[in-house]
Amino acid sequence: MTPAAFREGHVEVDGVRIRYMEGGQGTPLVHVHPADGLRLTPAHDLLCRRFRVVALEMPEGPSPEHTLARAIATLGIDTFNLVGTSFGGPAALRLALHDPQRVLALVLEAPVATSPDNRDGDLERRLATLATPTLVLFGTMDAVAPPALGRVYKALMPNCHLVFVYAAAHAISAERPEAFAEVVVDFLERHEAFVISRAQTVIHP
Amino acid sequence: MKVSFFETVRYRAPEALPPEWPVPSGAYDRDAGAQAYRGMIERLEYVEELGFDWVSVSEHHYSPRILTPSPIVSAAFIAAHLKRITIALLGPIVPHSNPVRVAEELAMLDTMAQGRLVVGLLRGTANEAMTYDLNPQEARERTDEGMELILRAWTEPQPFGWQGRHFQYRTVSIWPRPLQQPHPPTFALGTSRESCEFAARHHLGCGVSYGPFEVMAKATRYYREQCARHGWQPAPEQIIYRANMLVAETDEDAQALLRAQSNQAPFTMRAGVRAAVMTLDSRNIAGEARSPVVTGALPTTFVGSPDTVVEQVRRCREVVGAGVLDLSLHPPGSGDLDSLMRALELFGKKVLPRIREM
Repeated sequence: MTPAAFREGHVEVDGVRIRYMEGGQGTPLVHVHPADGLRLTPAHDLLCRRFRVVALEMPEGPSPEHTLARAIATLGIDTFNLVGTSFGGPAALRLALHDPQRVLALVLEAPVATSPDNRDGDLERRLATLATPTLVLFGTMDAVAPPALGRVYKALMPNCHLVFVYAAAHAISAERPEAFAEVVVDFLERHEAFVISRAQTVIHP
Repeated sequence: MKVSFFETVRYRAPEALPPEWPVPSGAYDRDAGAQAYRGMIERLEYVEELGFDWVSVSEHHYSPRILTPSPIVSAAFIAAHLKRITIALLGPIVPHSNPVRVAEELAMLDTMAQGRLVVGLLRGTANEAMTYDLNPQEARERTDEGMELILRAWTEPQPFGWQGRHFQYRTVSIWPRPLQQPHPPTFALGTSRESCEFAARHHLGCGVSYGPFEVMAKATRYYREQCARHGWQPAPEQIIYRANMLVAETDEDAQALLRAQSNQAPFTMRAGVRAAVMTLDSRNIAGEARSPVVTGALPTTFVGSPDTVVEQVRRCREVVGAGVLDLSLHPPGSGDLDSLMRALELFGKKVLPRIREM
């Protein structure tokens, strides 16, 4: 599958026009991009082999998660998997907290939502109530969101799984797309059962 | 200067063994093996009494030369018998190990030995790639990743998964954790640019072995430069130099010992295997290529009377910058235990007290 598999579209809600990229078929996977904008990576191609991937441009405003939730509904999507990257992590968390019944599972890629130096007490309190199956990924070389932050999410969230992606810095999905997509797909398909290996080790039958 | 005794378990073969690696397992003599491990403990009790700081063990397979294929087993056995000495496990061959298992076993050992553990992590000699069918071309990458995973397993308080290039785990959460915090003193062993950079990045020590002082100094200099780049300066005891030493009453006697020494390579491989290893394995000293295969005896860089050796150690300290000497006092595999014990006594009484304050 090539990037050409993605097509651009626009959806209008609350008088705001939101650009999105969409590719693939299957259970919807909504992606909330990092601060540098909506850009496709090789990981999007890998994910759209299994899911209907919709990467939405983040709307501006005081409660973008409300606008985002309506935009997703307007696209005909009821329940969905949700992936938030970097600064898209806090946005994805707020969306999941706003509409928890619609989010099947949540993936936070190198999230910048809270840190020991800059804690968001209100968000942290709300995270403790979020039962959504959540996968948190940190790159072992990340200097923006250091991997030691992973334990904060793991400790706060009741249904959180922490995975380190070796030799990746902040842009995990761009730097190690295969490693990223493999664990994300596995988690979204099996949730907490993804800890059980299905790797085949028979060499010669 | 700290001093470490490199314990190789002196197996005395009742009959001559073929030199080629792997040595046929059927040639192993059980009584000789039992005697070798008993002798190891007796020798190490003396080593401890002489005041050595560490005893080191290493991982080598399929050969009587160094009879510690699982160094963790030897280290645990030694720790149970000796009460004071620090056990330096230099080290598990990381690329063919399960790094999580290594982290668990070392944490157990550190705790059971009440914090008397020092760890060196390494890639292994060229022949060891064949021990568990490791592709030599992947060995460097597997070593780096495995070392990083070991450090993470020791220090991460929450269960985690590892999405590596060569290792993948969904659940890691080791018990016990090491007694020493955040982990035992740890060294990345080797002269390569990659090993020195890894050590510098993770604030680990560095260990080099056998080569002449000036050559090993290239690696330790590079290591210190990299540490500075990462904003820190290693202490002298964060640099280990493993070496062969032949000490005798006089310089002439020591030189005679050197001349009498076999020029047998430590792990002799069949010609076709050696040729293949030469193309598949690659090694370097601070970035300068070196042969992955040792074809003759390893160099002996300390030779002479106690006075001479003390001066050589002083030079080593200046040139290599090492604060830990890890010594073989008689070539491993020689089987000449009397010579080894004489050398130990001479070193312990006439050299050790004079180099301690260096």
